[in-house]
Amino acid sequence: MITRFITDVTTRFNPFSPRAKSARLFLTFLPPTARLSGMNITTQLLPRSSTEPSSLHIKFKDGKEMKLDCEAMGIKSIVEEVDRHSRLLQKEADLADG
Amino acid sequence: MPSRLRCAAPRGLSCAVNHARIPNRSAVLLLPSAPAAIAASRQYATAAAAVSKSSSFRLPDDYVPPTKPPTARPADTRKSQLLRTYTSLLRSTPLILIFQHNNLTAVEWAAVRRELRLALGSIASERTNSAEVASRAQLQVIRTRIFDVALKIVEFHDPSKVGPTTVSALTGEKVQVVYNHDLSKAAYKAVQAATKADEPLPESSAYAQISPLLVGPLAILTLPAVSPAHLAAALSILAPSPPAFPAPSKKKSPGYHDPIAQSGLQKLMLIGGRIEDKVFDLEGVKWVGGIEGGLDALRAQLVYMLQSAGLGLTTALEGASKSLWLTLESRRSVLEEEQNGGKEGEKKEESS
Repeated sequence: MITRFITDVTTRFNPFSPRAKSARLFLTFLPPTARLSGMNITTQLLPRSSTEPSSLHIKFKDGKEMKLDCEAMGIKSIVEEVDRHSRLLQKEADLADG
Repeated sequence: MPSRLRCAAPRGLSCAVNHARIPNRSAVLLLPSAPAAIAASRQYATAAAAVSKSSSFRLPDDYVPPTKPPTARPADTRKSQLLRTYTSLLRSTPLILIFQHNNLTAVEWAAVRRELRLALGSIASERTNSAEVASRAQLQVIRTRIFDVALKIVEFHDPSKVGPTTVSALTGEKVQVVYNHDLSKAAYKAVQAATKADEPLPESSAYAQISPLLVGPLAILTLPAVSPAHLAAALSILAPSPPAFPAPSKKKSPGYHDPIAQSGLQKLMLIGGRIEDKVFDLEGVKWVGGIEGGLDALRAQLVYMLQSAGLGLTTALEGASKSLWLTLESRRSVLEEEQNGGKEGEKKEESS
């Protein structure tokens, strides 16, 4: 996963719900130096009885915001969605660098 | 020296024969004093010279070496040993906190463990085993799937319900042996029967509650006793929440505010706990950590409650008989007075 262009990750999930899997796995995809390189990562754990759907909110460097529905999407499709936009930014960055 | 050479051959042969008779240490234990009654079809030729002599020795077909009981998994692989480690850990550890770790580096793990050890070690111990609890607390990364299987075995496999199997001893006689270890076929079948794919697990089972947690990279903190003081210290380091479990101050523990330790702690996420075979979420774990004075205080509260309830009950039960006794007693005194009064009146009349 290309994480260079992500500036903000906000997740809310109830770990006792089986649907929280993709949100939790997304956090493990972030590199060890993510916070050092300026990414804001906020995680909020919901109590066990909560039925609120798990949510993942991502902001990119160009200002684009993504709200991903973790209930329906698996981790593969989430990574695919995020990478689709990241690749655009990567292309732009490569052209700008020359 | 021809004589020596001549001597060597028979000696070597006898050695080989003896060796063939007693193939290993475990066989020695099962071998009877007279090894003549050995009869079976398996045959091991250990020395070419001894084949003709030891052809009478055969292992029974269903012989099981006592040091190597039959298992459903390959017994000596790392995974199997890890599974056994986890089952024994789950059976012996009353307090397990489950963390998700998101790409911690080795130095960050070292820093986190150092801070945890410091915090647990600094607990003032009025109880004698406080230091022991602190020294045996362990934060370890687990293999999630194997831990999952271990949880299933601990929950669904009851070793006491496994019946004996009949196998042959070395001599060929039939022996009843119970194979109920965690790698046994009995354990495997019990787990398979309990967790069928088409049937949902019963909600009451602890495994059904904890299984959604077992996703992704996990680490567990194990404490050898349910000690709320130690739990509170661990929570204040690993998952600080200001009012009840504040993070240690910069002056008190500068290592905690070290950037490496901080970045490690940010990536650790407490997702639940298993305390005395019950599953707790973050709030539940905090509640256990917030018990003042530990289990002893809870017991004292219970004893006090029961005592006071008993006291109330006895007074209530006593009350009825007491009031009855009081009324009867007062009635008796009244009657006595009346009698005495009457007599006195009569006496007065007589005297007058």
